[in-house]
Amino acid sequence: MSTASGSPDPGAGLRVRDLRVSYRGVPAVRGVDLDVGAGEAVGLIGPNGAGKTSTMLAVMGVVRASGEVSVDGRAILGQAPERIVRHGVALVPEGRQIFGGLSVRDNLRLGGVGRRERAGYDEDLAWVRALFPILDEFADRQAGLLSGGQQQQLAIARALMSRPRVLLLDEPSLGLSPAAVDIVFDALREICRRGTAVLVVEQRAEFTVEFCDRTHVLHEGLLTLRLGRQDAHDADLLTRAYFGS
Amino acid sequence: MTQLIQSLIDALSGGAVLGLAALGIGLVFGVVRLANFAHGELITASAYTLAFTWHLGWFVAVPLSIVSAVLLALLMEITTFSRLRTAGPATLLIASFGLSFLLQRVYELAFGNNVRTAPVAPALARSVEIGGLRIQLLSVTAVVVAVVLLVGLRLFLTRTTMGLQVQAAAADFTTARIVGVRAGRVIGVSFVLSAVLAAAVAFVLMAQTGAVNPTFGVSITILALVGAVIGGIDRLSGALAGGFLVGFASSMLSSWLPQSVVAFRDSYVFAAVILVLLLRPSGLFVTRATTERT
Repeated sequence: MSTASGSPDPGAGLRVRDLRVSYRGVPAVRGVDLDVGAGEAVGLIGPNGAGKTSTMLAVMGVVRASGEVSVDGRAILGQAPERIVRHGVALVPEGRQIFGGLSVRDNLRLGGVGRRERAGYDEDLAWVRALFPILDEFADRQAGLLSGGQQQQLAIARALMSRPRVLLLDEPSLGLSPAAVDIVFDALREICRRGTAVLVVEQRAEFTVEFCDRTHVLHEGLLTLRLGRQDAHDADLLTRAYFGS
Repeated sequence: MTQLIQSLIDALSGGAVLGLAALGIGLVFGVVRLANFAHGELITASAYTLAFTWHLGWFVAVPLSIVSAVLLALLMEITTFSRLRTAGPATLLIASFGLSFLLQRVYELAFGNNVRTAPVAPALARSVEIGGLRIQLLSVTAVVVAVVLLVGLRLFLTRTTMGLQVQAAAADFTTARIVGVRAGRVIGVSFVLSAVLAAAVAFVLMAQTGAVNPTFGVSITILALVGAVIGGIDRLSGALAGGFLVGFASSMLSSWLPQSVVAFRDSYVFAAVILVLLLRPSGLFVTRATTERT
């Protein structure tokens, strides 16, 4: 473990420097530095209220923030979410937020709205269908009628349809059965293999540390620790990291 | 029996017109969370255009009436509502009230306080007799116009990518933006669609009355807002059904209330509305599953 954020491939993927978010003057994120290189999976763990979701929302342009955020060297901070999507960032929000009244097929079509170009759409659609076969089976079903695990697969597939270079996932395992978690994280491995930078916010510390190339611990808006896979089974370290003691 | 069927046909027509007005309001509300009281002034603008241009022929007057409503809707959005994007619903509502009163005064200054008359589609005032029933062509036309527009709107919303984006924005605006839906474009489209529906309402009302004044669109907008709210303004189908129900009920009450109390028709309608809102605050046609999901 080390205390720096670090990056094996600076400039590529997502670069965050001195990110700060406040709500009505109360700081939620207090100067976060992060790098997620192409094909890497980076985790962000920490207790409730640590600033994990605020970090995600700030990168996505949903909440106001200061600092620097760039994707493949292009600054994106301060832009509207719909523009940030076109710069190659996609967010799978907490609670999935699929469009429950629309069909699975239409949710996937909406995912394609944020693409910079139409070329490759059919290939990407075929890929996400292969990644999540259940979506192909239930293509015409109302998305709100899917199970939680199926909805999470749809939310990830919808995000992938914008062909992101950076994929942000906010608590993708929340409320899922162990089998559904396996499906989701197997898919994330495949997504990384395709060269997408993946940033995962999770509550499940051990699982996240083991899955990700590196994991940062966020505590009261600050990155306090960087963990590697080798730390995944160090229960004392994880407990101390998580609770800040 | 004959009178009942005739009043049912009239009520269908009244419901169709109010349903269209409520749907126009619901479309904008769904995307921007704005209960646009100034929707009535779109109807009025369209009606004035019909009154001033009908002599040029319907094929000129009708498109111009649609264009005038669309331009005014976009003007409202660009000059007022787009600048209040981060404001709360109360601010937006008050702004729309202000805009409505301002436009009424503008109409007054431009066209005077008196009614302007024009024989819009006089052929539709004729009645045809079918099996002892006298059916006014205008009633049939109102229902046909409503059905055509609803089918067209449904096709747009479900078959086109832009329609899908409008649906997504209406369901969850923030998430829609996260997936890449361009907020400004979708809002503009919802205002345009709302204006087209307002133009259709103006056409039917002008064909009915042949007269327009500066407050022409106000009363139908109030009833349409009421309809949209009791149907469930959060959902397009709810707004449409609520508008239809209020229009249908108003028309039936007009036909069946005793002459001595028919002047108080709207009081009965609003009393029913209060009762509905007490029993179903989210709207008549909003199921529990829907509210939980949204």
